Amino acid sequence: MKSVIKHRAILRYFLASLTFILLLTSQLSAQTGDPEKGKGLFNANCAACHKLDKKLIGPPLEGISEKRDREWLHAWIKDNNALRASGDADAIAIFDEYSGMAMQAFPQLSDQDIDDILAYTDNKPQATPASGGGVATAASLGIDSLEVVKGKNIFNANCAACHKLDAKLVGPALANIADKRSSEWLHAWIKDNAALRASGDADAIAIFEEYNGSPMTAFPQLSDEDINAIIAYTSHADILEPKAAVAGAEDSNIAKLPASTAWITYLVLFVFALIALWVYFMSNNEFLKLVTTIALLITVAYFGYAGLMGIGVDQGYKPLQPIAFSHKIHAGDNKIDCEYCHSSAKHSKTSGIPSVNVCMNCHKGIAEYNGPVTSDKDKAFYDGEIQKIYDAIGWDSEKLAYIEGYEQKPIQWVRIHNLPDFAYFNHSQHVTAGGIKCQTCHGPVETMEEVEQFSPLTMGWCIECHTTTEVKVENNAYYAKIHEELSKKYGVEKVTVAQMGGKECGKCHY
Amino acid sequence: MASNKKYWKSVEELNENSSIVEKLKQNEFVEEIPTDQFLGDKETLEASSTSRRDFLKYVGFTTAAASLAACEGPVIKSIPYVVKPDDITPGVPDYYATSIADGYDFANILVKVREGRPIKIEQNKLAGTSGTTNARVQASVLSLYDDNRLKGPKANGEATDWATLDKEVVAKLNELKATNQSIVILTGTCSSPSTRKLVEEFSAMYGNVEHVVYDAVSESATLDAFEAMYGERALPEYDFSKAETIVSIGADFLADWQGGGYEAGYAKSRVPKNGKMSKHIQFESNMTLTGGNADKRYMVKPSEQIQVLLNVYNAIIGGGSAKETSVNEGVEQAVKQLKAAGTKGVLVTGIKDKNAQLLALAINKALNSEVMDIVATKNIRKGSDAKVAELLANMKAGKVGALITNNTNPVYTLPNGAEFAEALKKVSLSIAFATTEDETASAAQYVVAVPHYLEAWGDVSIKKGEFGLMQPTIQPLFNTRQFQDTLLKWTGSSQSYYDHLKGFWKSSILGGTSWNTALHDGYYKVGATVERVANEVDLAAAANGLASSIKSSELELSLYTKVGLGDGKMANNPWLQELPDPITRTSWDNYLVISRADAEAKGLKNWTVSNGAMNGDMVNVTVGGVTLEKVPVYIQPGQAPGSVGLALGYGRKAAVQKEMQIGVNAYPLFQNFKDVQEVTIEKVGGVHEFACIQLQHTLMGRDEIIRETTLEDFINKPKEDWNPEPKISYEHQEANLEEVDLWDKFDDSWGVKFNMSIDMATCIGCAACVIACHAENNVPVVGKDEIRKSRDMHWLRIDRYYSSDMTVERGREEGIYGSGEFFESQTHPSDNPDVTFQPVMCQHCNHAPCETVCPVAATSHGKQGQNHMAYNRCIGTRYCANNCPYKVRRFNWFKYFDNNEFDYNMNNDLGRMVLNPDVVVRSRGVMEKCSLCIQMTQATILQAKKEGRPVKDGEFQTACSNACSTGAIVFGNVNDEESKVAHLKEDKRTFHLLDFVGTQPNVFYQLDIRNTNEA
Repeated sequence: MKSVIKHRAILRYFLASLTFILLLTSQLSAQTGDPEKGKGLFNANCAACHKLDKKLIGPPLEGISEKRDREWLHAWIKDNNALRASGDADAIAIFDEYSGMAMQAFPQLSDQDIDDILAYTDNKPQATPASGGGVATAASLGIDSLEVVKGKNIFNANCAACHKLDAKLVGPALANIADKRSSEWLHAWIKDNAALRASGDADAIAIFEEYNGSPMTAFPQLSDEDINAIIAYTSHADILEPKAAVAGAEDSNIAKLPASTAWITYLVLFVFALIALWVYFMSNNEFLKLVTTIALLITVAYFGYAGLMGIGVDQGYKPLQPIAFSHKIHAGDNKIDCEYCHSSAKHSKTSGIPSVNVCMNCHKGIAEYNGPVTSDKDKAFYDGEIQKIYDAIGWDSEKLAYIEGYEQKPIQWVRIHNLPDFAYFNHSQHVTAGGIKCQTCHGPVETMEEVEQFSPLTMGWCIECHTTTEVKVENNAYYAKIHEELSKKYGVEKVTVAQMGGKECGKCHY
Repeated sequence: MASNKKYWKSVEELNENSSIVEKLKQNEFVEEIPTDQFLGDKETLEASSTSRRDFLKYVGFTTAAASLAACEGPVIKSIPYVVKPDDITPGVPDYYATSIADGYDFANILVKVREGRPIKIEQNKLAGTSGTTNARVQASVLSLYDDNRLKGPKANGEATDWATLDKEVVAKLNELKATNQSIVILTGTCSSPSTRKLVEEFSAMYGNVEHVVYDAVSESATLDAFEAMYGERALPEYDFSKAETIVSIGADFLADWQGGGYEAGYAKSRVPKNGKMSKHIQFESNMTLTGGNADKRYMVKPSEQIQVLLNVYNAIIGGGSAKETSVNEGVEQAVKQLKAAGTKGVLVTGIKDKNAQLLALAINKALNSEVMDIVATKNIRKGSDAKVAELLANMKAGKVGALITNNTNPVYTLPNGAEFAEALKKVSLSIAFATTEDETASAAQYVVAVPHYLEAWGDVSIKKGEFGLMQPTIQPLFNTRQFQDTLLKWTGSSQSYYDHLKGFWKSSILGGTSWNTALHDGYYKVGATVERVANEVDLAAAANGLASSIKSSELELSLYTKVGLGDGKMANNPWLQELPDPITRTSWDNYLVISRADAEAKGLKNWTVSNGAMNGDMVNVTVGGVTLEKVPVYIQPGQAPGSVGLALGYGRKAAVQKEMQIGVNAYPLFQNFKDVQEVTIEKVGGVHEFACIQLQHTLMGRDEIIRETTLEDFINKPKEDWNPEPKISYEHQEANLEEVDLWDKFDDSWGVKFNMSIDMATCIGCAACVIACHAENNVPVVGKDEIRKSRDMHWLRIDRYYSSDMTVERGREEGIYGSGEFFESQTHPSDNPDVTFQPVMCQHCNHAPCETVCPVAATSHGKQGQNHMAYNRCIGTRYCANNCPYKVRRFNWFKYFDNNEFDYNMNNDLGRMVLNPDVVVRSRGVMEKCSLCIQMTQATILQAKKEGRPVKDGEFQTACSNACSTGAIVFGNVNDEESKVAHLKEDKRTFHLLDFVGTQPNVFYQLDIRNTNEA
């Protein structure tokens, strides 16, 4: 109960603010700038520190022109230091609020550019005009948005396995189903469609036959309220859309910030180089020359050795894959277990790249992407990637059926972890027998948009782990006797992999 | 050791002045690095236009180019299935039960399949003796990936498609049917019940159809004899495990005699139990595998073998007087032993004569032998020589309308193959079903490409009342269709053979058992219940007939088959070509084996050249007007004087890669289906180069590597007499080995510790383990030239030692002990030597000499008892091989894969499919050796870990122990006191190779026992 109240409050606040912003800004933005251009500029210049709806490094910028006057904004963006220096109270307050961290100045932005950006920040909700309209009508039509939310939850729990709103899945698309069928009919159908058919209802029978006589599950457990909520959701699902869109406006541009310390290294190197040159060409101090020579030799040897040791080590290898498969979306956002797709990891030496039929377990139903998007990877991009799976296996996403006689095209992934032939590695040994988490070697894959080689995969790296890792002997009768003998021999409670023989050459090289 | 015998592997070793033997003893790598060849030739050097500066430029450029090229790693693709089959987990092997029935070899087997590729053949232990595998069955998986296989159907030499072929053939068949012309189906032995039914249906449809069965090396005589006596054309089964006395007259029953498969039973009778073991007496002309295993072997010319049989027959049944032979004493012994053994005695003979086989059957019947089973008979040889001869005559006379051949190659295997090919032209419709475009297929109008047995459905009944199923283990590689499917098509059926097979099994074989169970097991036993009453056969007439058939000649030729190539079906299989013959230790060849006496008389010689390889003279061999030219001569100790031998199956040309078109085709001498022929030989000029490895890998003159004793000593004398503990001299005192040791002690009492036991009493030298090791460990094929340079790569070799039967005791009795005469009598190779087989692989020493000398620690000791070899660490100094007392390390002189110089299976994509993905393919310049199949032991341990249970005894296996059908090789965890190998280690027959060296190997041997008891 408590959570519902909380939800209600948040939602009301949210919808209200959205409506408010929308109504106000839609008038202003039209005259002052081009929101499309503004979006590009925003992403290029501001998005590293600002988001529209959330505080990032700087404050959220949505509707900022309502808070500050335009002139002030122009001045602040172009050179906020100067503004502060001029003694502007607001400017100083912001500066203090953000712990004295100055914002970068953007003198290169023209007035028009800034207007465009402001148009974008003000106009943001209009990026999805339908939702904007939806909100406006929702409020005006007096739809109980709470009921819609409730309906969504019930829909997802009960209906979504077979129905989508906008497309046919196992059953028909349900968006605006209330326009097609009467409420009573829907109630009767959902609760017990077999009974409805038995009663001789023509519509019911027609649907049954259209779907090749596969009956829909009956839902007698749903109350009339529940069903009303579902119907409300199917009719007005769009009012919930903006939330997703706004929440999705996060950007990964932070990662693109230039490494600010690199120049220090170059400077130091440059200074050293100058000193060395001076020693050799200007100084007559023989001792200094000797010392410099030795230092140079040691440096060259050190870097040379490090360089040579790195040959063949492909840590960070992140090849372009034929499908922009995001582990972040699958394993991170949707929390799919690693071994759901890489199912052979627990049985076999190879973890196994999932075959396309594994993808289809979910993607039969998920034909389009509805998650957060970024500027370079929009919805169309992701949908295109999903389409690649269908192209590989021959799935007709319109008819929701496999195309008969389709010549399947295997997906040619690029292998990231390339262990040389002479090293034998077995996943199941580590995953099943050792109980090691995938992330131990593969890193935080669930946060990776594109997977890269996280570990060096050098022998030293293997050995180090084998030396320190204790064997998981609990509840494994295989180890019972061996562990007893070994712990006596080494006088330890826990035996490491190395003590068990995990450092012997022939265990991995054969 | 115990008997103070002298053992030798090559006649060359008996020559005290041989510099080569001395050199080989001291130096494993005989050939100097030929630096002189390019440095010594001053003229060439000076004439070269490449100056030193240029050379340096090239070197610099190459280095730079190589480093630049190495900067970017290759992009490796990883392509998963689109739809993964449920039963495949990549990286985990599946095993399918199937059967091989290629007309020569028959067995119920298991096939190891990785990601849809069959890579290894294993025994199907459910099927008992029908489930054992020989070297050829083990190697048959490679023939699946033979690039010379037919890739689609052909009509008159042109590729065609199935629809056209079916249409044309059916039209012609109907034409023939309309005019009632004879249609003949000629096949190899077809022991498939469902196929026989299909042939019947085909016959019913096309009227005048005859099914003729032709075996290249037939057992027609035995089949006819058994039919005469017991009313069915079948082969009796023998269970030698029940035998106390085995008398064999020319029967090589441990190899291919009557289809083979007897070694498992035989081996069971060769280990003393309660002071008893079987006594095996062999009369033969060629030195065979069976003769090598016999307790007593007599050299008898083929013509005299008949007399030996007659004498035994007379002594046991006939009562006639014995005629003088050169082995009277042997015959006497044989008769006594047989009589003493009674129902536990058995006589077998390889004489291909109906009368001889009748007498053998009669003798066993008279003995009431338990060993011979006339109820559960064998179905694996059905060929009828008479019918084949009749067919040929009919073809010549133009009386045959159509000839359909399947699984047979008469143009190659008939002595008058050319005549057959000529006669085939008179047949209006000739169709050959074949896997390769062999001699017969190239002569036929239509060639129907059939799949390899690993791609096909089928069934087989090896023994009466026992059935095996054949199932595909891979998608067909080429556009092939099996014989049965084609027959169904031609009889107008729309059924697939799979449905037919399933239906047939359900209705005729399975009873209530489920099809899936039968398919899973691959073997289904109903049991044979036949009442057999022996017919009255006029044995006296048979004996008389046999006596009158004796036709002695000055030189008699016995044609035989080798354990490698058999009848030549798999001539294009490089594993089998490279497999050294267990007796001659020669690979890549066939040759005329001849006795020393005959060779000396004809001025024929074998000699060893400076690099340790063997050369020999050549002769022209003439039989009945047919001459084979330039046949190399191999002087074989133990060959009966007045006899020579030549192996069949070689010299095939059609659909055989150039490297393997080797040896001479002896089938033209196999006239009238007789394997014994009167022969004349004539020395011709020229020298033949053998790829013989018998001189290589000598053991630094340490002859005590072999140990054997007699049954009598084994029972009556203390162990110290015949299997003493090693003693060494230390500070002028005799000391036990443990007292003096260079190495530190190493605690291996916990966990797993592998040991391997090899029983020399039951090892018959069949070489199945050598091929199994080849397949499991990706051992490369190196070719004839490299073998000649002693660069063979076999991780497991089977050493064959000769020794004379002169013992210390006998020497003392005869008063020649200690004299030169004693030495002479022990070593004269013309004497009939005893033969001992000893499989030798890396001994996995606990105190390994190889480990201490490796400068880069590439070879190291594992806690589990395996001596590890890290190929990636090896830099190829070969110190280890030099320091190994057992000479088991193999050096990769070349890159043997992807190299046109070694154009064998590892040089093409198809052939590489047989590689085991769990074992790395070694590159040039590294040492390799037996790992005790660490990939298998690790997999077993992992399986147990995953299932959370200790490893059970018998789970640990190696490729060789798995393949050993006699159970001579036992592998396991010696720290498990209950394990079989731990018990064997405590056995009093146990010894280590060269134990006095102190290497403490983890491989140990059980010494050989000869039953010299006389009745």
